[in-house]
Amino acid sequence: MSPAPGGALGALEASGLGQAMRQWLWLYPSVETVHLVGIGLLFGSIVVLDLRLLGFSRNISARTLAKHVLPWTAGSFLLIIPSGLLMFTAHATEFIDSPVFALKMGLIMAAGVNAALFHTITFRTADVWDSEDMRKLPPPISARIAGAVSLLLWISVIACGRLLAYF
Amino acid sequence: MKKLLVAGIFALPVAVSAHHGWSEYDTSKALKLTGKIVESGYEHLHGHIRFAAPGKTWAVVLAPPSRMERRGLDKGMLKPGAIATVESYPNRDKPEEMRAERIIINGKTVELR
Repeated sequence: MSPAPGGALGALEASGLGQAMRQWLWLYPSVETVHLVGIGLLFGSIVVLDLRLLGFSRNISARTLAKHVLPWTAGSFLLIIPSGLLMFTAHATEFIDSPVFALKMGLIMAAGVNAALFHTITFRTADVWDSEDMRKLPPPISARIAGAVSLLLWISVIACGRLLAYF
Repeated sequence: MKKLLVAGIFALPVAVSAHHGWSEYDTSKALKLTGKIVESGYEHLHGHIRFAAPGKTWAVVLAPPSRMERRGLDKGMLKPGAIATVESYPNRDKPEEMRAERIIINGKTVELR
């Protein structure tokens, strides 16, 4: 609750930025709002693609959809990361001790690995399975798994973020 | 099957978020203590005071500062040395900590939940 002394994280918490985050009346809620808008953009953009990979809305090309939504997904990190770092600064020693925070970071990395695997392997062959004829069939199992895993991971990340307030 | 899967995925966080911030505190053991503020933080996420009550000094968790200000409990009122009465619930696991339902200070009662 109060800043812990010592250590780099203690110093981060005690810094002017950390103090401002805790003590300025409207800064923390504003930063939280930016984080939430970012999460909305991230999750919203990624869900539509994940659902497409699961086999919904096959009249839409997965490649066209990805080209439209993924820049927004990437852009959402411009909102999420700075605001997340600011909130971390306010309570760094508490976050680093929290198993929920560690789990959240681990899940984000897992979601990144899942996306990277999908884009380097399955999405490379999209001109085959995403062609107009092949779209009558469900996407390949690897695409469906990538979509399901992505959904589950990002929902879990959001749940961890919320649970941080309660653990 | 697909619809079921999607419904299941979206129901998950609802079940998890039923957990609430006040559940750490034992609301069956309301305490009403008068003492002196030793130290205070008018801070996010929750304001807090170190509170010397007869026989024990407590860490008291208050409300977010924006809420306290809106309800008329400004920073100056929580100065060290101020006498206050706190109605609160003890933390189930941390014997030194309690969370305040309301605080009475300078003759003014401020609800904190």
